[in-house]
Amino acid sequence: MFNGLTLGALLVLVAMGLTIIFGALGVVNFAHGALYALGAYAGLVAYEYTGSFAAAMAAGAAFLLAVGIVIERGLIRLYYERPAEDQILATFGVAIVLVEGLRAIFGGLARNIPAPSWAAGIVNLRVTLYPTYRIDVLAIVGVSLVALYFILYRTRLGLIVRAGIEDQLMVNILGINVTRTFLTVFGLGAMAAGFAGVINAPIVTVSPDMGADVLVQSFVVIVIGGVGSFWGAVVGGLIAGEILSLVAMIEPAYSQVALFATMALVLILRPQGLFGVEGRQ
Amino acid sequence: MTAPVARPARLAAGFLPEVALVAVLLALPFALPYFGGTFDLANRILDWGLFGLGFDLLFGFTGLLSFGQAAFFGAGGFVASYLLIAPVTDNAVVALAAGTVAAAAFGVVVGYLSLRRAGIYFAMLTLAFGEMFFFLDISPLARWTGGENGLAGVPEPSLGFGIFRIDITDPSGVYWLLVVIFVVGFWLARRIIGSPFGAVLRAIRENAARAAAVGHDVPKYKLTVFVIAAAYAGLAGGLLGLLQGYMPPDAFYLDTSGQLVVQTVIGGAGTLVGPLIGAVVWLDLYTVLQNFAGIGALWKMILGIIFVLLVTVFRHGLCGAAVVLWRRLMAQSLPESGPAVATVEPPRVAAEPRRSSRRPPPAGPVVLATRNLTKRYGGLTAVDDVSFELRQGEIRAVIGPNGAGKSTFFNMLANVIPPSAGVIEFKGDDITGLGATLVCQRGISKSFQINQIFPSLTVRDNLRIPVLARAHGKFHPAMLRAVNRDATVNAGIEAAAASVQLVERLDTPAAELAYGEKRRLEIGLALATRPQVLLLDEPTAGMSPVERVDTVRLLKSIAAGVTIVIVEHDMDVVFGLADRITVLFNGRKIAEDAPDAIQANPDVRAAYLGSQTAHELA
Amino acid sequence: MAQRTKNSVSRRRVLQGAAAAAGTLPFIHVPGSFAAEEAIGNFPAGVKAHSIFVGVTAPLTGPYSADGEDHLKGYQLAIEHLNEGTGLAEHIPTLKGKKGVLGKKIEYKYGDTQTQPNPAVQIQTGFITQDKAIMITGSLNSAVAIALEKLAQRYKVLNMVGCSGANETTGVDCQRYAFRSQPSAYMAAKALAPVLGKEIGKNKKSIYLVPDYAYGHSVEKSTGEFTEKKLGWKSLGSQVCPLGTTDYSSYLLNIANSGADVFVNVAFGADAVASCKQAKQFGILDKMKMVVPNISAFQGKELGPEIMGGVYGTMDFWWTLAETNPLAKVFVDTFNARFKYRPSWPAHVGYSQMMVWADAVTRAKTFNPLKVIAELEAGHKLQMPLGEVWYRKEDHQQVRAVPVVVGKTKAEMRNEDDFFKIVGLTPGPEVMPPDFLGCKMPSA
Repeated sequence: MFNGLTLGALLVLVAMGLTIIFGALGVVNFAHGALYALGAYAGLVAYEYTGSFAAAMAAGAAFLLAVGIVIERGLIRLYYERPAEDQILATFGVAIVLVEGLRAIFGGLARNIPAPSWAAGIVNLRVTLYPTYRIDVLAIVGVSLVALYFILYRTRLGLIVRAGIEDQLMVNILGINVTRTFLTVFGLGAMAAGFAGVINAPIVTVSPDMGADVLVQSFVVIVIGGVGSFWGAVVGGLIAGEILSLVAMIEPAYSQVALFATMALVLILRPQGLFGVEGRQ
Repeated sequence: MTAPVARPARLAAGFLPEVALVAVLLALPFALPYFGGTFDLANRILDWGLFGLGFDLLFGFTGLLSFGQAAFFGAGGFVASYLLIAPVTDNAVVALAAGTVAAAAFGVVVGYLSLRRAGIYFAMLTLAFGEMFFFLDISPLARWTGGENGLAGVPEPSLGFGIFRIDITDPSGVYWLLVVIFVVGFWLARRIIGSPFGAVLRAIRENAARAAAVGHDVPKYKLTVFVIAAAYAGLAGGLLGLLQGYMPPDAFYLDTSGQLVVQTVIGGAGTLVGPLIGAVVWLDLYTVLQNFAGIGALWKMILGIIFVLLVTVFRHGLCGAAVVLWRRLMAQSLPESGPAVATVEPPRVAAEPRRSSRRPPPAGPVVLATRNLTKRYGGLTAVDDVSFELRQGEIRAVIGPNGAGKSTFFNMLANVIPPSAGVIEFKGDDITGLGATLVCQRGISKSFQINQIFPSLTVRDNLRIPVLARAHGKFHPAMLRAVNRDATVNAGIEAAAASVQLVERLDTPAAELAYGEKRRLEIGLALATRPQVLLLDEPTAGMSPVERVDTVRLLKSIAAGVTIVIVEHDMDVVFGLADRITVLFNGRKIAEDAPDAIQANPDVRAAYLGSQTAHELA
Repeated sequence: MAQRTKNSVSRRRVLQGAAAAAGTLPFIHVPGSFAAEEAIGNFPAGVKAHSIFVGVTAPLTGPYSADGEDHLKGYQLAIEHLNEGTGLAEHIPTLKGKKGVLGKKIEYKYGDTQTQPNPAVQIQTGFITQDKAIMITGSLNSAVAIALEKLAQRYKVLNMVGCSGANETTGVDCQRYAFRSQPSAYMAAKALAPVLGKEIGKNKKSIYLVPDYAYGHSVEKSTGEFTEKKLGWKSLGSQVCPLGTTDYSSYLLNIANSGADVFVNVAFGADAVASCKQAKQFGILDKMKMVVPNISAFQGKELGPEIMGGVYGTMDFWWTLAETNPLAKVFVDTFNARFKYRPSWPAHVGYSQMMVWADAVTRAKTFNPLKVIAELEAGHKLQMPLGEVWYRKEDHQQVRAVPVVVGKTKAEMRNEDDFFKIVGLTPGPEVMPPDFLGCKMPSA
């Protein structure tokens, strides 16, 4: 159960960037997994130069904010007026280019960012020993979610983003500078993906293909939780984490299948997802 | 979306596209060596093209983007391959048919579940189901599918029975088999898009809600086309196993679904040949880039860049770009047929009002009635306990200040939204909660405040959609009949066009109409279902005063034999048309009477004055 | 291809139209001066005046791209050496002093399989039908290897199988046209067991992490069999995980709390890297000995001595063999000079398969696959970097020594590639499966 919680926390962090971008911009970002990998590599470079995990976290987030802005300006902006499927395809192509770019620069070998010194080691949880870093991850995810929550619910930007999730047309009509908001949102979403990449790096390994599974799992998380919903992503991620963790203990061959089956079940009983806004297609 | 290959007018040419296709495919083997191609590559291209035909029906024509087609490709492929290896049968046709049926059966299940959502959600759902099939294939079903090793040793195809048995033993033989199947598959797909069924699919792509509102069972149409696409995928999957003697687990990979989407978009969705062209480009790029000496792993990055550029530059794929180019060339040679037509004023039919504005109060039987109709949104009661009766032949206006609950009431009448409490009766039957489609089939049709037309279809094809719903019912699997062969339907279209004065614009795409014309088309769509009760939601919204006058005249002309409920802000229109007026205020009915009486009603005056829009009553 | 068509047309009924068309197509029918009975697969069509073609596949993108690059470099180096008569070619009696194979230059192309069977089959089909490949080779996993074995059998083209550790490759899926050099899971386990007994001891409790696919299960079965029978070890069970898992915490928790002495990690490639790293984080490596029956090519480099130090396992080849075997030294030194790092075992598989093939062709004095197969099956013993190697007729498995290694600690490493110490080199004949693992060799 506890293990499912940490697993779920990581999923929440990864899915958050995807849900923000989709919720506010209506863009399904198929490059999300690639951005996640890019973040991990940015963190890796920073770590190798400074030896500091904090620097890696900062670098992963900052670099991806910049990358997000470049991608939005350079490409995504051309796609707002186009059908959703075109956006999917463009980001799908961007993902290929980013992943293969990483491979060309860093090679295909897996690299490592070790857990920070303050989180290295193992703690005794009475029932079992557990890696300290995985427990600290809960705190890191918690803090970053609070920060994100603050941005989304306590700032003007957040107000616009959430309004956009509710009714995009209305936001446009109100004459808000949508272009700049979109830019910020895309940057923010990419930043969240990059940050998630760095946080995951000490647990998984850093390789160009590390984002491949992340994308699909994030989809499941946000579909279960309700697309575009902050709390939906949180709850969806935790549910997914528990399913993966518990089913793996009983019948591992079915752990992924169970995840998708749960998603199907949610959609049958509650098509808009657990926390989804009703009526929005 | 680009125009479909088969326009009704061109159907007379019959098999022209098939003949051209067959000619190209017959010539290909002779051309192959000059391009350095092989039968194996040609076979793969045709297989992907076949896979893409089904997907194009789903995505290009119905607008449903599935990222899970690999599930059906794999399912069909593994069922067919397993049957041949086991061996349950040694006949390739039987195995392929079984694979196709199995894929279609999976299509029913997956389609039923994933079609509960539309748009991006649908894409994600299909993606997830695709992955679920993959995980099932890899481990729980590995006994039958060979898990990650796939099924090797699929025998060379043999067709027919007994002495009519034909064995195909080399790639050129497989090529001819694929040519036959592809051409048949292409013909079938083209028949489908040229049929009434196909017309409804395109309407769903353009505006699914409106297609449902004029009486088509949209979920059923979607499910049917989803199953067709799954069947095409299953057949293509089975052929993959046959053509290389090996059924790879890759068939279930997300990459397979992705590649299908990529090829279809590069080639041009909604063109049927697009997926084939896309397969040619993609598979050739794949081969060529890999053979570029020295770039090694970079080939994939270059492919990614080329892909992003293609998607960005060619909005409708290569075939779409070709069509646009062709049209531009045609437009240059015939300058007078340019888009200038769009601004031509519509012809005015001097339709004199057939009844005077002061008619005796209608005395026919009650056709539509509500009892204690209520709608609550959370704590807010939008419509509160409204009971109302509408008599046959009546023109009834529903008015009230902004926020009075008119639109909510109206949407409940058309069953667009369900009431929180109360009952709606049509000719004595309870129709509450039937849904817009069934209500429309019974004879209540609604025109919308904001135009809900099918923008890239012509006026004729727009009007065809409600006429088909009237003629064929809510679902009719007429897939092989040509859409323009039905004289009743054609007459219905002509009649509907005449009633909204759009006869001369029949072949103009709806998107190119002037605003007033679009508005008339909007009304025409509702009218073309030949409703007994017509619900008009602000028919003159956004019109100039001249257009309003025209519209009032038009509405009067169509009122014969139709009972009308109209919501309108423009009081000139209301008082010019209505036999009786119902006034809503704060969700309640405060008055219902003849126009003169309403004008004099102090409660109504107070309501409007209260909301400071009294001048509207002037 | 061309000959095949001709034969099949004459033997069997063919779709009428196809037959008619095929007869008229100039490029299908290649008129040759060779008698029909001699033509087989791409022989002799693929033997050009001055060259022959070899089709190579390896994953260059996807999770095994680093291993794939290494594999490809092995082929590249071998082909350069054979064409120039240098490297190991100078030390193999049949090849000494010759340039090319039977005087023909080896030409090759490579394709990226992305570690997936379908692209591999697609690419090699192109090499066979279009480039008239006389031999195909290269893979990094058993799924691709087995798919290409069947392809070779279908087109009657020789396949010197690349990397593949599954028993099936030379077991139930063995093919007349395919020869595998890497030790099977069975051989690795049998080689490993005595060394484990010596180094870890007898009567230990073990627990397994098993990726849920054919290869994972066969490694588990073989390792369990030999450690239980020969060492009296007792298995406490296995944690089965899906292939491609990124987070192993659920399984590792159970393993950590199992009370076992030895953790046998069957995961391979990226899965091995992630699971070993996480095992360290869960404190498993501090309480148990870890055994990785088949160590991935770059596992030492990717995980470092902090994790891999003290880990036991087998490898197809490890470069420190160069210290004891002069032929291994030739391979390692020339590779290092050419590519600036010491080769990993996928490079060795590629390099040695090319050399063994060239030797067999030279002995057979023809590229005719039937004659080359006969030569390979004859069991001629060839001196290679692993010592004497030869192919077994019954299942086409190479009989060769299996290196057993242990990970070095940071302090023990003498250079940046020095991750493992060879603790045993179990002779080939001792580890061969007596029952051929279900291989029923099809006819040519």
